[in-house]
Amino acid sequence: MGKNRKPIQIVILLGVLLLGGYAVGKTLFASDDGRPAVGKEAPNFTLLDLNGQTHQLSDYKGKAVVVNFWGTFCPPCVTEMPEFQRMYDKYKNQSFEVLAINLSENDLTVSNFVAERSLTYPILRDANRVIERRYGLSQYPTTFFVNPDGTIQDIFVGGMSEQDIDSRVEQLLQS
Amino acid sequence: MFQNTKCECGHQNPPDTLLCESCGKPLVESDEPLEMRYDGVARRSQKRNPNPLDRVWSFFSSVRIAVIIIIITLIGAALGTIYPQGNNAAYYKETYGWSGELYHKLGLSSMYDSWWFVCLLVMIGTSLVICSLDRVLPLYRALSKQQIRKHLQFITRQKTSYVGTIEGDAEQWVQSFGNHLKRRRYKVHIDGTALLAEKNRFSRWGPYINHIGLIILLLALLARTIPHWTEENTIAVRDGETVQVTGTDYYVKNDKFTVEYYNEAELPDMLKQQERPKLYETKAILYECVSSCGEPGIEPELKEVKQYDITVNHPMSYKGVKLYQIGYDDEPLLQSVRPIIEDVKTGQQYGPFDLPMKNPKTSFEVGPYSLELKANYMEFALNEEGSPVTKSRDPKAPAFIFIVKGPGLDENGEPYMYFPLEKDKERFSQDKINQAIASKIQIRVDGMDNVKFSSYTSYLLIRVDRALPFVWVGLGICMLGLLMGAYWHHRRIWLRIDEGTLSLGAHTNKNHFGMRSETAWALEQMGITVESDKLDNGGYNS
Repeated sequence: MGKNRKPIQIVILLGVLLLGGYAVGKTLFASDDGRPAVGKEAPNFTLLDLNGQTHQLSDYKGKAVVVNFWGTFCPPCVTEMPEFQRMYDKYKNQSFEVLAINLSENDLTVSNFVAERSLTYPILRDANRVIERRYGLSQYPTTFFVNPDGTIQDIFVGGMSEQDIDSRVEQLLQS
Repeated sequence: MFQNTKCECGHQNPPDTLLCESCGKPLVESDEPLEMRYDGVARRSQKRNPNPLDRVWSFFSSVRIAVIIIIITLIGAALGTIYPQGNNAAYYKETYGWSGELYHKLGLSSMYDSWWFVCLLVMIGTSLVICSLDRVLPLYRALSKQQIRKHLQFITRQKTSYVGTIEGDAEQWVQSFGNHLKRRRYKVHIDGTALLAEKNRFSRWGPYINHIGLIILLLALLARTIPHWTEENTIAVRDGETVQVTGTDYYVKNDKFTVEYYNEAELPDMLKQQERPKLYETKAILYECVSSCGEPGIEPELKEVKQYDITVNHPMSYKGVKLYQIGYDDEPLLQSVRPIIEDVKTGQQYGPFDLPMKNPKTSFEVGPYSLELKANYMEFALNEEGSPVTKSRDPKAPAFIFIVKGPGLDENGEPYMYFPLEKDKERFSQDKINQAIASKIQIRVDGMDNVKFSSYTSYLLIRVDRALPFVWVGLGICMLGLLMGAYWHHRRIWLRIDEGTLSLGAHTNKNHFGMRSETAWALEQMGITVESDKLDNGGYNS
């Protein structure tokens, strides 16, 4: 018994230090509510585009990514879609991607909309509002600008002009 | 300073031992009844020349320190209840004035999450572990190797003791005394003319088991701060819909939602003529996803795990996930229709065919007609430019545009606009939009049987608390320890006969009165009548 006394004391005090440090540390640093925020990692998702191809956000690490949530029922979303198309055309030869996630609408509605406006960037299909919830969306449209390292550089709620998008994409590409 | 800690029986005791670990001889001179706590053994941390590690250890090993920490924690916890927790600075100033402002500035408005409060809890946990360990190990050792023949002083200085003379064979007397004690469920050990009888030793472990429970409880509370161990989300589930339970692999189906309203007679005057819900209930079915979970484009494979009727305050509970009824919405939404096609001239009807609002097929063959769905709108409207748009994604005013081919129609098909809801059909003048084709065919629903509505949206609060089972386990162990330590008493009787003189001592950790009457009873059996009060050796705690 006497021989093991010191190691036991050290193990217990170390355990207390670790657990206690964790508990106290938790109170000192801002709590994490799981919602995406600027500077935090963008929540991953795996979705199909209109051609049935799989897109996973984590596969785009190393690229600047714009994740846009939109719906045909939201007029500012409809207005900004051609702006994103122009940005896509402008930067597509660089390390850049636009992922436009539709807000769980019917297949026909989405494909009609995309065909009418000849959009060529990937249009992803959420189902039952799962990814939308994961991103804690409350208003449409909402656009997330994701750095090449996967962290969120900016979150923009509302319709965006070409300039709004352009300045942020430039920043993304520089980082 | 050197201290001779060797007992006269030859046993070498650690420093600060009160009673010789072997023969029980008191090592501190006094006439008071013996201090029997922890059987007089030294606490593990008490040692000479402590190093810094030993100092930290013995700090936490002290019950005095533990009590001080607990009192500080209690005062802190009490302060936290003065004003409501977790509001912003303005709230305290407006509601409580300067005292509220001070309360917030002192950090008492979120004190249960403050670093110092958590620090105190960690210290209590540490002290629980160290205090227990330092006492239970020596106590265990002392109790598991007890000497039967104790030092005479040890016996006569017990709180319950008796000295008298006996006649006859000493060994035989001891044997028969032992037999009487066995009837009272004592374990009896005899060494010639000395005896040790003991019962309910396990009750001594009660406090330590209680502490283990408390430590599990504290760890479980700590675990609640791990991400995803506790989550709270609200989900909206329409009648008949199945929705994923946020943050889990479960899906919940709202099989049927019902509301019962108060009738007029049940309402007080001021509330009459109002619709007041009395009871609302979601007949819910919980599914677990077994494969294709979260894979895009593939419907997940679900397995039913539980059915429950969720009402307010009666949540469905399954493996740490709880679903509470928190509200509802009674806006009806169309789910699907089964329309028919009528040839206006002949009156002939074809169909019906299935037309769900969510992802309908895009081509239909109905009798001689073939329909191709060109567009659909969930909440039909015309924008400023006069083009058709949808105002939302919920089927509040659904509209469908078909290209119809068939007898009497253009070879390339003719467009037909269809509003499943009668009110929309009139509002948007369906027949006027359709013009010529409206006089050839009509797409319409025949009877309400062919219309499926979802009348209600049920709002459920999802609470995931994966630490809860551990909290219960901790509390259970805690209660078990409490029961063991409180309900049973550890009782021991020592005696030795030296040349016709019987010396008897008895000890218990609580209820000395019971100990004395049991001893008096045992002596009575041997023909020695002694009032139980006379056995009292004085001192406190009788």
